[in-house]
Amino acid sequence: MTIAITPEKVPEARGVFTPELLDRCISCGFCLPACPTYALTGVETSSPRGRINLMRALETGVLPDDDPTISEEASFCLGCRACEPVCPAGVQYGELLEEWRDHVWNGRRRPFKVRPLLWAVDSPRRVRSMGIVRRHAGRRSESPGPVNLMLGCFERVLYPRVSRDARELAAELAAPSAQGCCGALHAHNGELARGKHLAKELGEALPGTIVATSGGCAAHLAGVLGPDRVKEFSQWLFARDGASAATPADGRPRIGLQDSCHLRNGLGVWREPRELIARVGKYVELPSAAVCCGGAGSYAIVRPKDSARVLDQHLDEIAAADLDVIAVVNAGCYRQLQQGVKRRKLRTRVVHLAELLAGEK
Amino acid sequence: MAATATLAGLRGRLEEVVGGEHVRTDVGALVTFSTDATPLERGSPDAVVFPATAEEVAGVLRLANELGVPVVPRGSGTNLSAGTVPHRGGIVLVLTRMNKVKEISDAELVAVCEPGVRTLELAQAAAAKGLLFPPDPGSQSTATIGGNVAECAGGLRALKYGVTRDYVLGVQAVLATGEIIRSGGRLVKDVAGYDLRRLLCGSEGTLAVMTELTLRLVPAPESSGYGMAYFPDLADAARAVSRVLASGVLPVTLEFLDRVCIGAVEDYAQIGLDTSAGALLIFGQDGNPAVIERDLERIAQACATEGATSVRIAESPEAASEVLEARRAALPALSRLEPLTLLEDATVPRSRIAEMVDFIQEVAERHHLKIGTFGHAGDGNLHPTAVLDSADEGAVDRARAAFDEIFARAIELDGTITGEHGIGIPKLRYLERQLGAEQMALLRRIKAAFDPNGILNPGKLGS
Repeated sequence: MTIAITPEKVPEARGVFTPELLDRCISCGFCLPACPTYALTGVETSSPRGRINLMRALETGVLPDDDPTISEEASFCLGCRACEPVCPAGVQYGELLEEWRDHVWNGRRRPFKVRPLLWAVDSPRRVRSMGIVRRHAGRRSESPGPVNLMLGCFERVLYPRVSRDARELAAELAAPSAQGCCGALHAHNGELARGKHLAKELGEALPGTIVATSGGCAAHLAGVLGPDRVKEFSQWLFARDGASAATPADGRPRIGLQDSCHLRNGLGVWREPRELIARVGKYVELPSAAVCCGGAGSYAIVRPKDSARVLDQHLDEIAAADLDVIAVVNAGCYRQLQQGVKRRKLRTRVVHLAELLAGEK
Repeated sequence: MAATATLAGLRGRLEEVVGGEHVRTDVGALVTFSTDATPLERGSPDAVVFPATAEEVAGVLRLANELGVPVVPRGSGTNLSAGTVPHRGGIVLVLTRMNKVKEISDAELVAVCEPGVRTLELAQAAAAKGLLFPPDPGSQSTATIGGNVAECAGGLRALKYGVTRDYVLGVQAVLATGEIIRSGGRLVKDVAGYDLRRLLCGSEGTLAVMTELTLRLVPAPESSGYGMAYFPDLADAARAVSRVLASGVLPVTLEFLDRVCIGAVEDYAQIGLDTSAGALLIFGQDGNPAVIERDLERIAQACATEGATSVRIAESPEAASEVLEARRAALPALSRLEPLTLLEDATVPRSRIAEMVDFIQEVAERHHLKIGTFGHAGDGNLHPTAVLDSADEGAVDRARAAFDEIFARAIELDGTITGEHGIGIPKLRYLERQLGAEQMALLRRIKAAFDPNGILNPGKLGS
């Protein structure tokens, strides 16, 4: 072994990372128990602190760009940001991960499977045409209003009912179909600048407040446009209606929730969807409700085996709790849980919160 | 880093012991095991192994002993004295796969577990049976019980309940030469032989590798309550603490923040602290609700008598949580001031706390440093915390000079250079000043008896 990882003199920073972000970690290790990939492996290298040490080694040139462990860990991380709320030093891990992937996944090194996804959502026109045959809520002729519903890119194709039901619950939401992707997929997959640009474009297409039915999109948009302009659907609906005392009826369905990681860990929104569910059913908190389901944006496509390992615990808990419904607040979780539930042949229905509330209205 | 010739083939031989998937030698992994929670100290290992059983641990140690390769035992790596930093290279022996709670007995008040169990998990398993495992170091959600025993971790409840060593009934351990021994067991009374389990407690991974622990539990208290008091000066708070203890009350919590910490916490958390105060004392009691009420009232009275400017007893769990928030936020608040945070744990008799904290402030000013001090007023365990700008090149040297003085002063005041973090690497050079040359020589002879070839965590305690 000849690589010196204890250099006599601290080498010059390469500028891969924002120094203030990387400096903030005090290496206390409080993030370890919160990290799903650390839980899977028990190996420091696959923990947030371990990855920050890898980032530091990359920044100081101790490890080269093409180091296999660097590549593996940049991809193995779910990007769920569960490490952020437990961090006493306030490390913004999500931002560091975006900068990391922006550096190590540029050009040829980006995972092959991500490329067509990014291409598909890269232009607003392409996104519009993706949704053309599906009955989502968007109307071509409609102009933006004071509060606008974001239709999403893959969500409008895969789950068009979500936006229709959101509008049924809230007729004041305008939904012009002339809107593109929020850019989260780009930002999380090594195209940070493009991801921010797409968010700004969407902000211009939808002036005023933007309401997103996917937590991941809401968190990314809020990061670029500011949390005052961007609200996630449950957050917005709960603020609109306030706490309501729904009379609990016996025999109501048993409903669990899968938190959206970026909604919970990025925007701090977790109480609102639970309150809304409690209006229509008996809310059951699963032990891993706040833990990433393994969908994690494009993760389920890029790393299907790890994604399924992360999901297993959730499916076990859904089965053990014998849920009637598991509610989701993000398109990626929707797809992930739907596939898992189907594979296990569970009786539980996977439903977006908007669909759940509209169905009970 | 050990000699290259010795290391050729090391990976293969380790694989024979623990299996190929439980050995890491990729440079990236070695980077991530080159540090723990201690700033500035690092050193690259040559291999990282993850054994699953005491027999596998013995196999690794026999191999390392034969080759003369250093072995550094590690749990979750939350050490604050670089005790798990492999600065002489060699093998990092990670025990987190050995993570089973084997038994919680409410009839015998014991827990039996493997070293890689996280301390909070153990505490929760005990709580599920109405029992308490009292040691609660700040890192308990991450730290492993093996690491806590090896470092003799303290925590916030030490005044009333003691520290980790007070709860170790028995250990199974592997010697550096590969033999597996047991010391103690499930008995409260057992004086057969030297008390090796106590010797291993706080041995910082330099004598043997613990592979199973039998721990004492106590009945969980029914309830708990908290309060807080502001003082114009830390000396007033210290006198209040003495008055409390003299009044026959043994509180479960007696924590303080000095002026610098109060300011930092308020800037960060904005929870309405009185930044004009010289000290904040947070107190708490557990047990029967009637006893809690009586004791909190007595503590409040003692504080008022010693000049507290305001005293508040939390009336609800939410209010109690607010009271404790100031203490919880101390380290996060300080660490956010600057990129580099040096956290120490010099400890003095509680009657000398005010004197010590005044000295720390004087030293900080003289060396142009920002040092906030918080800690355990009940047991004199202080956490002077220096926050440094990494761009300020001289800052680390000035901080080292300041801590030299702080440790020397702690020893003069009949204190110790470390209350609960351990000697590790950075404090080894102060140890002789505290223990004297004869005792240092005895430590080395003990080390040699356990570890004749000096492979276990070399360059630290006993070296």
